[in-house]
Amino acid sequence: MNHDIDIKKLQVNCFRQSKVPGEFMLQMRAPGGVVQAKYLAVVQHIADTWGNGQLHLGMRQTFSIPGIKYENIEAVNEYLRGYIEEVEVASCDVNMDVNEGGYPTIGARNVMACIGNSHCIKANIDTLSLARKMEKLVFPSHYHIKMSIAGCPNDCAKATFNDFGIVGIAKMEYDYDRCIACERCVETCASHATRVLSLENGKIVKDVCCCVGCAECATVCPTGAWTRRPTKFYRVLIGGRSGKQYPRAGKIFLNWVTEEVLLAVIGNWQAFSAEVLNHQPRYLHGGHLIDMAGYEKFKEWILKGVKLNPEAEVAERLYWTETEYRSNIHVKPVCGVD
Amino acid sequence: MAYRLSLSRMDELLEKMRESYTIYAPMRFEKRGRYSDTDLVRYDKIRSVRDIVYDEKSHFSPKEVIHPITQALFHFTEFEYRESEVDERPVLVFVRPCDIHGIQRLDTMFLENGDAADPYYKRLRDKVKFVLMECGKGWDTCFCVSMGTNRTEDYSLAVRFAGEELLLEVKDPSFRPLFASEKTADFRPEFVSANRLTVRLPEIKSRDVLEKVHALPLWESYDTRCLSCGACTAACVSCSCFTTSDVAYSENGRSGDRRRVWASCLHKDFTVMAGGHGFRKTPGERMRFRTLHKVYDFRARFGGADMCVGCGRCTDRCPQLISFAATLNRLSGEVDRLNAEAAAATGVSV
Amino acid sequence: MTANIFKPDPYRIADIVHETELEYTFKVEAGVKVDHGQFFQISLPEIGEAPISVSGIGRDWLEFTIRKVGKVTHRLFSLRRGDRLFMRGPYGNSFPLDEFRGKDLVVIAGGTGVSPVRSLLKHYFDHLDEIRSLHFIAGFKDRGSILFADDLKDFAARFHAIYTLDKEAIPGFQSGLVTEHIRKIPFAGFADYNVVIVGPPVMMRYAALECLKNGVSKERIWMSFERNMSCAVGKCGHCKINETYVCLEGPVFNYTKAEQLLD
Ligand code: SF4
Ligand code: SF4
Ligand code: SF4
Ligand code: SF4
Ligand code: SF4
Ligand code: FES
Repeated sequence: MNHDIDIKKLQVNCFRQSKVPGEFMLQMRAPGGVVQAKYLAVVQHIADTWGNGQLHLGMRQTFSIPGIKYENIEAVNEYLRGYIEEVEVASCDVNMDVNEGGYPTIGARNVMACIGNSHCIKANIDTLSLARKMEKLVFPSHYHIKMSIAGCPNDCAKATFNDFGIVGIAKMEYDYDRCIACERCVETCASHATRVLSLENGKIVKDVCCCVGCAECATVCPTGAWTRRPTKFYRVLIGGRSGKQYPRAGKIFLNWVTEEVLLAVIGNWQAFSAEVLNHQPRYLHGGHLIDMAGYEKFKEWILKGVKLNPEAEVAERLYWTETEYRSNIHVKPVCGVD
Repeated sequence: MAYRLSLSRMDELLEKMRESYTIYAPMRFEKRGRYSDTDLVRYDKIRSVRDIVYDEKSHFSPKEVIHPITQALFHFTEFEYRESEVDERPVLVFVRPCDIHGIQRLDTMFLENGDAADPYYKRLRDKVKFVLMECGKGWDTCFCVSMGTNRTEDYSLAVRFAGEELLLEVKDPSFRPLFASEKTADFRPEFVSANRLTVRLPEIKSRDVLEKVHALPLWESYDTRCLSCGACTAACVSCSCFTTSDVAYSENGRSGDRRRVWASCLHKDFTVMAGGHGFRKTPGERMRFRTLHKVYDFRARFGGADMCVGCGRCTDRCPQLISFAATLNRLSGEVDRLNAEAAAATGVSV
Repeated sequence: MTANIFKPDPYRIADIVHETELEYTFKVEAGVKVDHGQFFQISLPEIGEAPISVSGIGRDWLEFTIRKVGKVTHRLFSLRRGDRLFMRGPYGNSFPLDEFRGKDLVVIAGGTGVSPVRSLLKHYFDHLDEIRSLHFIAGFKDRGSILFADDLKDFAARFHAIYTLDKEAIPGFQSGLVTEHIRKIPFAGFADYNVVIVGPPVMMRYAALECLKNGVSKERIWMSFERNMSCAVGKCGHCKINETYVCLEGPVFNYTKAEQLLD
C-alpha cells in the first residue's frame, strides 16, 4: 500500500508505529496504574472496533491497543475524548483542553505506581493519590520524563529504573515502655531490611544512619511499640533507566522529604528541562538531561525555590554506575561533530 | 442514680474528677496502626470525654493500666534493691464488661496463685475503679456470651454515649456528690445478649482424652500459620505472663532497674532455660499450650471460669488471620469425636 | 504495703570451690531453714535472677553449685570470697524424707543433676540409720565434668555407689550411660524402697523408663524438674505445665504426677 504518514506526529499523539505499514498501537494513560474497572469497556470497544481485538498491558501501565489502522485514528481520538476527560481532568485535575484530537503529547510518560497503601500491607504511602498529583504537574508536557512511585522500599514499582523514582518511606517512632524485648523487629529488620536494630539492656537500639524507612518493624511489633510518624516521607531516586547504551540503576537524590517538597521538586521539572534543552523539547529522557546538565546544575535548578523540610537529606554528589554495553562508551570525539 | 449529661457538662465534671483520679480510656492514635494510614486504639490518659473511643473495640486491652508493659520493680545499687515508687493517685478506667471479667482473671493469677499476693499488681489494682462502657451490638470477633462474660455488676460508673450527650449510672456512692445537681435519668446499662459468633468450649472428660488432645494433628496446622509473634497475647486482657530482668543505667553497670516486661507463651524462648534447652519447640505446641491455658488449665486449677473472656482482641490483632474462636470451635469438634470414641471403647452406649 | 516477695537480700560468700572448669560451688553465709531439693532465686545487680538449687545445707551456710550457662551464672563466676550476692528463697517443695524413712533408697543422678541431690546424700551420709540402704548411681559426660570428686569418694565408702562416664572408664568410674547401670540395682531384694532421679530432661525420661522396665512401680519414683523460671512464686507463668506450676508444686514430683505433665 502506498502510505504517506507523518509517524512522528502520530507518536506525539500516543500512536506507536507498527511493523505492519499503516497500523499503529494506541497507548492510553492510566496514572498510578489505576482506573475504574468500567473503563475496560472503553478499552474493549476500541480494540474490537478499530484494533485487532488484543490488549497489551503496557510496560508503563498503559492500556496498549495494537492493530489500529491509520484511517481510523481520527475516530479513535474522538472516542477517547470522554476517557481523557474523566481520567486526566476529572481524576487528576490536569490542566488541559480536551478535544477530538486525542492525547496532546507523549512527552511526560504515564506515571507508574504500585498499588500502595490502599491495599498493600507493606506500603507506607497512598501511591495513587500521589500519582494523580504528579500527573497534574507534568502532563501535558513535551519534555520527556518517566516517573514511578513505589509504596515502600521493596520497590515493586521499579522506581530505581526511572528518571524520577519515588519511594514511600516512614520515620519510625519507638515507645520505650511498650517494648517487650521480643526481638521480632530485630529479626525482621535483619531479614527484610538493613539490620539496624539490636537489643541492648532489654530494649531496642537503632543505628539510625541506615534505616531505609520500610516500617517492617512496625508491621511485626506485637505491642505497637514501633509506629510510623503520621507525616509521610519520600525518597527520590534519579537517573535510572534501561536502554541499549548505558542502562543504570537510579541513585538517591533526596531522602526523607515531605510531600510538599517532593511536589515542589517535580514542579521544577519542566523549567529545568527547558533550560537544558534551550526551550526545544527533544526525544530525550530526563536522565539524559541530568547527564547533560551535570548533577550540580541539576540540583541547583530542581531545588530552585524549594524549601526543604528539616528531616530532608540531599545527595552531595552522585556516582553513576552504568552498565556499559560497550566499554569506553564515555570516551567520545570532541572535535569534528556538530 | 443515673444522669443525663451533655458532653461539655461531663467534661466539666471530668475536670473535677481529674483532681483526685487519673483517668484512662481507649484513645485514638491517628495513623499509628500496624499498617499505613490505619489508626491505633489503645489506653491512655484522657482529658476530655471526647477523647474516648467508645464505638470501636480497642486494639489493646485495659490491662496495661494495672499490669504495665514495662514496670520497674526495684532500683538497685551494688548494695541494695530498693522498691520502686508508685503514683498513689486512684485510677478510673473505662472498660467493657468482658474487660472487667478479664481483670478478675488477672486478680486470680496475681493475687491468689502461690502463697502470697504480687505486691506490684496489688498496689495498682487496689486503686482502680471501673467505668463500664456499653457495647451496643458488640463486634464481629466478640464471643463474650459464649464465655459468660457479657454481663457484670462490678463497676463504679456505667456510661452510654449518645451523640452530644451521655447517660451515666452512678453506683459508687463516693461519686454521688459530684453529680448532685445534674439532671437525673432512667438509665441502667444494657449488655450484649447475643454475639454474631458462637463458640463451643471443649469438654475434655478424661485424662485419656486430654492426652489425645495434646496429640491432635490440628496443632501442627499452626506450625506454618502462626508466626509466634505474640500479638495475640499482647492484646489479650487476661494474659498475665512476664519476664524479669535487670537493666543498668550507667556504663559501669553498678546501678539500675530490676523490671518486669510482658512475656508471651507463643514466643519461642518462653520455656528456654539458661543453657538453651527449651520445652515447647514448635509454633503448634505453643498454640496448643496457649489454647488449653485459656480454656482448660486455668479452670482445672482454680475452678469456676475459663481464663479467656471472649473479647476477641487476639483475633483482631493476629497478622496471620488466625481466629481464636475458630480454633476453639475446631478443637471442640475434635474433643467431641474423642469423647465419643472413648465412650464407645468403654462400651457405654451413646 | 504488703511484704515484698520479690525483694532479694544480700548474703556474703564464704567460699568458692572450683568443681570443674564450668562449675563452681558457692558457699554462702545464710542461716535459713532449707529442705533438700529446694531452690533459691539468686541474683546479681544488673544481671538478673536465676533459679539455683541448693547443693549443700549447713547450720549457718548454704551451698549452690552453679554451671556457667546463662548471663547470671556467667557473672557469678567473677565473684570472690567476701563478695555479696543477692538471694530470695527458699522456693518449691523438697524430697520426701519422711517417705524415705526406714526404706531402701536409690538415687540416680546425671551431670549437673548431682547438685540437687548432694545435700540429700550428705544428710544420709551422716544419718544412714534413717534408711535401710542407699544405692547411688552418678553419671558424667567425661572426666572433666566430674562434680564433687571428694564427696563421691566419701559416698562410695558408705553407700552402694556406681559412678560412670559416658564413653570411658577410669579408676573409680565405669563406662556407659546411667541407664545402662540401673539393672544392677537389686530392686527385687528390697522390701520397700524409693528411687530419686535427677538430671537433664532426656536422661530423666530414659532413666525412669529403665526403672519401670526393671519392675519399679511409678509411685516409687521421684524426679526433680528444671524449668525456665522468672518469679519462683507462681506469677510469671514461665514454669507452667498444664495446670501445674513447677515453682509452686515442684520441683520434686512423684512419677505418677510427672508423667502427666505434658509439655
Ligand atoms: S518487635 Fe516491638 S516489642 Fe518486640 S523487641 Fe521490637 S519494638 Fe520491642
Ligand atoms: S523501618 Fe528501619 S528499622 Fe524498621 S525494619 Fe525498616 S530498616 Fe529496619
Ligand atoms: S466481647 Fe465484645 S460485646 Fe462482649 S463485652 Fe467484650 S467488647 Fe462487649
Ligand atoms: S484469648 Fe483472645 S478472646 Fe480470649 S480473652 Fe484473650 S484476647 Fe480475648
Ligand atoms: S498473633 Fe497470630 S501469628 Fe502471632 S503468635 Fe498469635 S496466633 Fe500466632
Ligand atoms: S517461675 Fe514464675 S510462675 Fe513459676
